Amino acid sequence: MRLFQRPAAIIYCVTICAWPAISAADSPPSFSGAIRPILRAHCMTCHGLENRKGNLDLRTVKLIRNGGVSGAAIIAGEAANSLLFRRVNERTMPPPGELPLTDDKIDLLRQWIEGLEAGEPDVPLFTVPEIDPGAREFWAFQPPVRPPLPDIRGRDRARTQVDAFVLAKLEENALSLAMPASRRTLIRRLCLDLVGLPPSPEEVERFVNDSRADAYETLVDQMLASPHFGERWGRHWLDAAGYVDTIGDDTDATIAKVATGKWRYRDYVVQTFNADKPFDEFVRQQIAGDEMVDWRSAEAFTPEIRENLIATTFLRSAADETLQNELNTADIRHEVLARTMEVTVHNLLGLTVQCARCHTHKYDPIPQTDYYGMLALFTPAFDPQVWLQPAKRQLPAVAPKERERFETQLREMGARRDELTKPYRERLLEEKAKTVPEPLREDARRAVQTQDVTRDEIQKYLVQKFGPAFSVSDDELKAALGEDDRHKVVTVDKRIAKLTGEKSRWATIQAVYDLGPPSPTYLLRRGNHERPSFEVAPGMLTVLSTGESGALFRESTVAHSSGRRTVLADWLTESGSAPAGLMARVLVNRTWQQLFGRGLVETSDNFGLTGSPPSHPELLNWLSVEFMEGGWRLKALLRLLMTSSVYRQSSMARDARTSSGSADDLDPSKVDPGNLLLWKMPLRQLESEAIRDSFLTVSGVLDRTLGGPAIQTEARADGIVAVNPKTLPTPTSHWRRSLYLLSRRRYHESFLEAFGQPELTKNCTRRTPSAVVGQSLTLMNDSFVVEQSDHFADRVLRDAGPTNAERVALAFQLALSRAPSTTELEWGTTLLREQRQKYEAESLVAIVEKPEATSAGAEDDKVPADEESPPPKEPMQRALRHLCHMLLCTNEFLYVH
Amino acid sequence: MLSSYDPSFDPVLSRRRCLETGALGFAALAVKCLLASEAKAAEDVDGSHDLRVRPGHFRGRAKSVIMLLQGGGPSQMDLFDPKPELTKHSGKVHTEKVEMFQPGSEPNRLLASPWGFRRYGRCGMDFSDAVPNLGTVADDLCMIRSMQSEHNNHTEALVMITSGKIFPGRPTLGSWVSYGLGTENQNLPAYVVLRDPKGYPGTGSTLWQNGWLPAIYRGTEFSSEGPPVLNLHSSQKLPDGARALDRDFLAKLNAAHRRNYPRESLLEARVRNYELAARMQLEAVDVLNLSSETASTRTLYGLDDPQTESFGTRCLMARRLVESGVRFVQVFPPVAHSWDSHKDSKKEIAAIARQTDLPAAGLIRDLKNRGLLDETIVLWTGEFGRLPVSQNGKGRDHNRNAFTVLLAGGGFRAGMIYGATNDVGYRAVENPVSVPDLFATILHQMGLDHDELTYTHHGREETLTDSPVSNARVVYDVLT
Repeated sequence: MRLFQRPAAIIYCVTICAWPAISAADSPPSFSGAIRPILRAHCMTCHGLENRKGNLDLRTVKLIRNGGVSGAAIIAGEAANSLLFRRVNERTMPPPGELPLTDDKIDLLRQWIEGLEAGEPDVPLFTVPEIDPGAREFWAFQPPVRPPLPDIRGRDRARTQVDAFVLAKLEENALSLAMPASRRTLIRRLCLDLVGLPPSPEEVERFVNDSRADAYETLVDQMLASPHFGERWGRHWLDAAGYVDTIGDDTDATIAKVATGKWRYRDYVVQTFNADKPFDEFVRQQIAGDEMVDWRSAEAFTPEIRENLIATTFLRSAADETLQNELNTADIRHEVLARTMEVTVHNLLGLTVQCARCHTHKYDPIPQTDYYGMLALFTPAFDPQVWLQPAKRQLPAVAPKERERFETQLREMGARRDELTKPYRERLLEEKAKTVPEPLREDARRAVQTQDVTRDEIQKYLVQKFGPAFSVSDDELKAALGEDDRHKVVTVDKRIAKLTGEKSRWATIQAVYDLGPPSPTYLLRRGNHERPSFEVAPGMLTVLSTGESGALFRESTVAHSSGRRTVLADWLTESGSAPAGLMARVLVNRTWQQLFGRGLVETSDNFGLTGSPPSHPELLNWLSVEFMEGGWRLKALLRLLMTSSVYRQSSMARDARTSSGSADDLDPSKVDPGNLLLWKMPLRQLESEAIRDSFLTVSGVLDRTLGGPAIQTEARADGIVAVNPKTLPTPTSHWRRSLYLLSRRRYHESFLEAFGQPELTKNCTRRTPSAVVGQSLTLMNDSFVVEQSDHFADRVLRDAGPTNAERVALAFQLALSRAPSTTELEWGTTLLREQRQKYEAESLVAIVEKPEATSAGAEDDKVPADEESPPPKEPMQRALRHLCHMLLCTNEFLYVH
Repeated sequence: MLSSYDPSFDPVLSRRRCLETGALGFAALAVKCLLASEAKAAEDVDGSHDLRVRPGHFRGRAKSVIMLLQGGGPSQMDLFDPKPELTKHSGKVHTEKVEMFQPGSEPNRLLASPWGFRRYGRCGMDFSDAVPNLGTVADDLCMIRSMQSEHNNHTEALVMITSGKIFPGRPTLGSWVSYGLGTENQNLPAYVVLRDPKGYPGTGSTLWQNGWLPAIYRGTEFSSEGPPVLNLHSSQKLPDGARALDRDFLAKLNAAHRRNYPRESLLEARVRNYELAARMQLEAVDVLNLSSETASTRTLYGLDDPQTESFGTRCLMARRLVESGVRFVQVFPPVAHSWDSHKDSKKEIAAIARQTDLPAAGLIRDLKNRGLLDETIVLWTGEFGRLPVSQNGKGRDHNRNAFTVLLAGGGFRAGMIYGATNDVGYRAVENPVSVPDLFATILHQMGLDHDELTYTHHGREETLTDSPVSNARVVYDVLT
């Protein structure tokens, strides 16, 4: 959030109105009132805002006094000896071409410098607010300690330690866990949760009939080992990181500013989750991967170097509008820097540090200096005074040394070519020049050699008339070459083409790396980058640190890098520390949220003082310690949670049990209507991607290809955003998993949009379930839904037995992983019969209306047109399409049970 | 939250109380308290919010808003804010270096308006010859000449004029109003967007986003051509009555499922949404069917002129929507032209003014004739103004320091000119009004206190105007 007070212009105008008064009175003009607006309008862009030319920063009196490479810019009381005044007065600054300062403004500068007193303090001394010593006592800021397991009565229900903690709370309220869910429910729950796709009827039957004692555990392991696991859980991480395939703020539906090769990070995340890389290592690699390998001086990029650089794309998720030249301004650069830090802290520590950008955090113990100390960690890579626009920031996935060798070869080839062709070129030039009338020849040659903008009218005419006579085109040159030399030139050209072709195929990495020695970081008053206050050293959040965080900063081990992000990575992952403890809690909590619909801390995006207290604090601590001590492995955590009785219980209220074991002496829905205590498995709405992917799975057309560039979408004038049919890499690419569709901040593919694909302005750590009317309209009428129902019907017609009952049964199996009840079967066959009659009636009408069809004989037409197979499809398929469509619209299909 | 709510029935508010208790260390008590508030929340219709009408903080003058969003940066000195000094010194180098956005204004030379100005109405409000029709409703308009934005780029400034700040991600004015008051007609969305069916305006759906407010407060696009709502009708042709059979089958399956999950409010909401969707299919089509409008009404909006037909159709739809109880309507001009006059202040302004001037005036006159203007606020606004100096010869670059907005109805002081710019129209100098000020004032007329209408996001009580930062205040001077 950017916090301008009011547009600077208001202050500006007031001062201009006030000038005469100031000049008339004897008191010198003030810096903030009179001088700053002049410097802001004429000087500051190059000196302090977008650059620090000559190392001179003009944003504060103190910085002006410090001066730049030429020394102090002002000497108090001595305008004539002050560089700033002299340069402006002699009109060498602003540089030629810029609007010069008017005399009255120069005079104001003089008055101001004359009136300054030596050693006058300009910055009011800030008292850095210390954090309250008690602040560290808050639960989230304490490193978690493994609590003892609670005593419970219902030991028979406890499979894991997780169960003990949950049961303990339930029993306090005379409640217990619900009955275990059926195997059918379990396998569907498990598949949707772990891979985001419903199971096939065969998988369901196999599991239901698996008599092994560890059938369930085996299934969990199988799902965890699926290559689609990373697609599902990688997506959760991409949400938290705020990943999109585009660069800027993405505010035009029709223009997606796709960042070349950014998808490599998405694939890296998927692979990381599949490989179950320890989370602490994963975090380290993403924050400081570039500082952990010496990529700048490597002879070639090893897979390790490549991966480390790709991992840093993590820090490129903040919208960077500076790709647009007009927006490559100081305010936006500061915004990109701030967003990068804020998103990182929000994702990893669940804290809303952005409040401390303008003032000390109102609720959490985060002083403003902490904010800027953290900002300084990212400044070397995102330095507003030494900025790189996004296109210049990306790296080819080729070592700089290798690139240099490449360029050298190209240069050599070019030189060789010049050498071969030089005699021919010179001869041709001489011949062609002779076509220009002799008296004009030398004038024309001079005109051609003169720079475009400085040519006079005569020269312009000469160039227009005789220009081509003084140059030789490549075609002319080639035609003139001797046989032997032509052969040599062709060989060289082939080599150049080969090298250029290879170069154009270099993969691109959207990496993050330090741009050079970092500029100083200042605390900004009210967050305004034009109002720096005192300098702030890089540092960590005080409340999570012990001792001086400055001591953490040591000499970087990597050349050309400050090492600040490595320090951050170390700080976050140091075993047993408060920040590592908080990060583990945040991650464990989000994992819990994913499986149970709500985090143990409900406000999974806010672990600060205004966040919710944990519903099961001991469990959260226990799990966090277990997670860290187990080597930060997500799969182990998931296995622990998913093999628990809590996860395996039924989601139906009627299966609830009280601690005495009976079902009727206490109504859990009255004791705990929100199910905070987990007396049943919560019902959860599937996320947008899982719904779309489930559609594709059930209809049988899902393209399970892994990885690669995003599938392009297009925003159409009618408001629909759909996969762009013109850019499909393969004929089935539009049926890839939703993860692979172009990921934008907004303007999501319409089906995903309807089901709550979040707007990724920053990042998203919690998807909000919703049931808006647009979803009903989409489910009823959207062309994607209609298309998928059609494929689903084809599949049923192909694979089911010949009766309607068999068709209904298979449709239920495919869509809902269960057989229909007797009543449902009755409803389904009735629907099929009635819809089929409608289509048959319709085709009859169509035939009657056609004059040539009248003689064909009405008897034949009464027979269902089963033999016919041209489009439109036969009435049975069309009737089946209705049944399949409605099954995809049911609440049962859209929720995890 | 709304002060008229009983806090004990407000899940959000009581959750805050619980947390305060929790922070004091009475964890067990906090959990009990949370359990109780969950019970209340479970009664809420879709778990978060709904669109039923709720009272504001006090009695408001207006019930609905029509925002005519004139993107591109309408030129104040060429439309509403005549500057004789500019005419007098045209061509001279201006001594004050103006803030440029795009290249082309480097010489810093003043440029006279190519448009003549006239005074209109009893109030004598100035309008240029580009917008003579707006002049004819001068006595119903309140003109604010001292508006200011915070950015010189269209996107940032458009995001600001719709959401109050320059960076996207926050809820828009229409979302806040719908959140605060709900809506009168449950068969239509609370917040409707009417854009040119030929394409999206610059910055697109960001301009009607709900940000972190629940999705039901997002603007819903109604198309002025073809079916009004996306997916309102099936993309396939079905036999008569086939859909009814489908719905019946679906309802039976969902009902059977509901018996196992009796207390899940989202399931219930989803079932009811199928019914609402069916009702919307009828009502939306009906509201947007203009065939019942008389010939004179159609002429009033310029439907009989191809130049004005596109914007006129949307203005007329806006009136019909407001009449049917829609809370907030956001109308966009045709996409083929915009107010972004970088090259030629005469030709470029003439093109867009020709298409929008008459329908906008027609809308205000029609609302007044029907007695709807008192309870409807019409806001005519761009995202910023333009510079007094020339760009590319005859054009003008963007200027965040001053622009003019027009307001009609809803208790805004008719016939008033408020605020002033400096002698060349570069910046607001008298009674400057910020975008958050404008929003605070509009909310006030709707019966909402901009500091009380809050939503907790990331632990912060967010408001539309964020007055602790923006210093937003209600501009009482422009109200009756």
